[in-house]
Amino acid sequence: MELMTRNEAWNITYRHALGETASYFYTEIRDNKKIFGRRCATSGRVLVPPRAFSDQTLKPTTDWVEVGPGGVIEAFTMVYEDFQGLPPPPYAFGYVMLDGADTALGGFFRGVDLSNSAEAAKKLAVGTRVTTKFAEKRIGDVLDFWFEIAG
Amino acid sequence: MTNPRVGIIGIGQSAFRARRDDASYPDLVREAVNLALADAQLELDDIEAIVYSLSPDAMVGIGNAERLGVDAVGARNKRFLRINTGGATGISSVAAAYYHIAAGACDVIMTAGADKVGECGDSQTVLNKIWDPTYERSLPLGTITMLAMSGIRYAHKYGMSEEDMAGVVVKNRRHASLNPNAHLSKQTTIEEVMTSRYISWPIKLFDCCPQSSGGGAIVLASEKYIKDRKLDAVWITGVGHCSESYYLGDRMGRGFMADHADAHALGESFKRAYKMAGITDPQKQVHVAELYAPFSNTEFHSIEAAGLSGLGQSVPELRAGRFNIGGEIPVNASGGTLCTNAIAVTAMIRLAEAALQVRGTAGGHQVKGARVGIASGNGGDHQFFGTMVVEA
Amino acid sequence: MPLNRRIGVIGSAISVPAEPNGQSLEELLYELVQSALRDAHLTIDDIDGIIVAANDQYDGRAIAVMAASGSVGGVDRDILSTPSASDHAFVMGVLRVATGQYRTQLIVSWSPTEVHSIAEAQRLAADPYFHRRLPLDDMASFSLQASVLDSKVAGAEQIAADFNASRGSVGSHQAKRSLISDGMSSPPVTGAVALIVADADFIAEHGMKNIAWLKGMGWATETGFLGDRDLSTAPALEAARDQAYGEAGITDPRHAFNALEIADPTPYQSLIVLDVLGISKRADWEKDIAAGAFAPGGKLNFNPSGGARAANPVFCTGLRSIVEAANHVRGAASSQAEFALAHAASGFAMQYHGVFIFGTQN
Repeated sequence: MELMTRNEAWNITYRHALGETASYFYTEIRDNKKIFGRRCATSGRVLVPPRAFSDQTLKPTTDWVEVGPGGVIEAFTMVYEDFQGLPPPPYAFGYVMLDGADTALGGFFRGVDLSNSAEAAKKLAVGTRVTTKFAEKRIGDVLDFWFEIAG
Repeated sequence: MTNPRVGIIGIGQSAFRARRDDASYPDLVREAVNLALADAQLELDDIEAIVYSLSPDAMVGIGNAERLGVDAVGARNKRFLRINTGGATGISSVAAAYYHIAAGACDVIMTAGADKVGECGDSQTVLNKIWDPTYERSLPLGTITMLAMSGIRYAHKYGMSEEDMAGVVVKNRRHASLNPNAHLSKQTTIEEVMTSRYISWPIKLFDCCPQSSGGGAIVLASEKYIKDRKLDAVWITGVGHCSESYYLGDRMGRGFMADHADAHALGESFKRAYKMAGITDPQKQVHVAELYAPFSNTEFHSIEAAGLSGLGQSVPELRAGRFNIGGEIPVNASGGTLCTNAIAVTAMIRLAEAALQVRGTAGGHQVKGARVGIASGNGGDHQFFGTMVVEA
Repeated sequence: MPLNRRIGVIGSAISVPAEPNGQSLEELLYELVQSALRDAHLTIDDIDGIIVAANDQYDGRAIAVMAASGSVGGVDRDILSTPSASDHAFVMGVLRVATGQYRTQLIVSWSPTEVHSIAEAQRLAADPYFHRRLPLDDMASFSLQASVLDSKVAGAEQIAADFNASRGSVGSHQAKRSLISDGMSSPPVTGAVALIVADADFIAEHGMKNIAWLKGMGWATETGFLGDRDLSTAPALEAARDQAYGEAGITDPRHAFNALEIADPTPYQSLIVLDVLGISKRADWEKDIAAGAFAPGGKLNFNPSGGARAANPVFCTGLRSIVEAANHVRGAASSQAEFALAHAASGFAMQYHGVFIFGTQN
């Protein structure tokens, strides 16, 4: 017998509230090209991106700390496969601990030739120093900035 | 006070495949239910309560799809609830069913579910939406990229080559070739894995689990029920769960609780399950392990979190064959998640396979003399971990 | 079967902000849980495990419960989640404590209003095989249920209107569905609920007072397809009722409870539930309405919280009813034996039912 299939798509839209803490973070990126974290007074750690509370101490964070623009790579990957709804490959992204921060911030890596993955992986190795670059036009998003190998 | 004992008396699983156009989503659930009931020699009417195993709704494309599954599991007018801890869902569902009996709420319960990941246009697109919309979702994160980054940190910390990763694939595919229910059951070679294309460096196509369709079901009963009816059972002697931070970037840097290289909360979860089961030296006391590892590199830190190897030691030990069928502690004798991943029931199948091993009915991939087995499930963004110990 | 441990509600918090306050979901949950811990005079270190419930489609997160790990204190702790219903999280939390392997559980559920249309999110719960092409959302299912009740009970439309009027006016929200007139329902609002349960030994060791003891608990599901059900009845509720009443020893439900918190998405659902629970049988509806039994301060003390008709945090209304019923008992003078009943329903035309009975006496 004929086995039928049916195509379905979910198209729901959302308007997520970001809250005061993330709103300040994104406003500073958009308007002043500055990246801020929040310090947890209990542990002394600076959380970047900033959170209103620390999920380890469960205490509210207390003060703003400007971090970066330099930092070190904590994790990276290079993507060569095309995924629906994600950027066209290849691209590299990962996490960077910015100077003054204790946690890592996610972002794209640019300026590295990804055609030879083994060579690119050496350039992006964990521990490599990078610097933060900001886009000309910024909207208040993590895509307003990216990381490049410090030269 | 001693914990009331709970036993597994029925196990059912589909022969997992890429697509099952012959069966609707509830049909697949019913297929596994029928297999488990036949194994337990019970009828649906004998089941007092149901725990429904289902991870993200979006993966099957039906909101609260458990409601559609009510009839497939025969739950009409019965106690019924659904568990979702992402990829850990299957083992969390067995734990939830275990708690029903251990609480005294009922004597016989079933947990069941199914997935049709093959019908989801692109599971990585769905899985990108697991991250918080405030910070991490704008990045092209998916489970592959997330765990590629874990692999990079693991390699940086302990040393692990792409050939070492390929070794996991070769081992698990060889195991899967002995398991008729496994989805990817064709044997492979280091060379074939190494020449497959990069998906998310260092993970290549052959380092990835498939998107599988199929169902799973397990029937559990109280000790009284089992003894009154003189049934054979596999006993659940240890149950544990533990969670990590939602934020990947918090598992790096300085002063973190968990390193994204490792599987910290999986280790804590195993400690809880081992404590309950009275296991003090897992390397000696555990005979077979089914560990949730959807990408080759994650099997290493899972083996270590289970206490079957020291930190960073699993790589040379796997190379030496310690985790093969016939080795000292076979890991993923079924082929594991790397060869079959129907997300909603994957972690349930880990437990089912461990139970089949200690029951001595695993078939072609039976580990000789296995009496104590362990299983695990990982869910969320490497965030929720569930573990169990089963004994004959 | 009675559970292996006696269990009480020792703390809770409800957050239903009158206006959107710009908080992120994580921030809202963090404050809520801290508030519930303060209410119980505990810290997170006293919490052995956590059960959460949320809905992926309402939240716009593919695994909605992931938001819970940090915000509710779940890092390095044990979290399970029951996305089927908020009251199922309570069931699971109670069961875990009843095993004796946990002494306490924190139970949290939430329901944001960040989705463009909640009705649109609900329509995705219609299966793609037979029902997705129909405009089936929760309110449509309640209207279908009303039409069946109206065909079975003479004058049901008028009875529902009188029932609603007798509870006092709370606004004129338009459901825009047949038989459901303006002011019978209320629009979705953001809400979140947290509560903490513990076993009797823990409660005694900590010298805790003001406990809502769980006396009976039942939960069950109707079949999946609406076309397979007689929507004027609720056989799953009968099953849940029998479990809960059996455990609590309730034989005269009409006179057993000092407070009721019952699902009220529209009056029709409340009437069906009151009938099945034996609190106000069909034959008594008109008489009870005329006597003001459902009015604020009326004889049955029906939904003193105002219920979903006053404020409707859609997904967590069930858990909120549980907290409201527990709080009624916690607020009662400890010398008198009092019972409160919470009923939770969710899914199309109340597919899931839960019945929970709390008492002042252990």
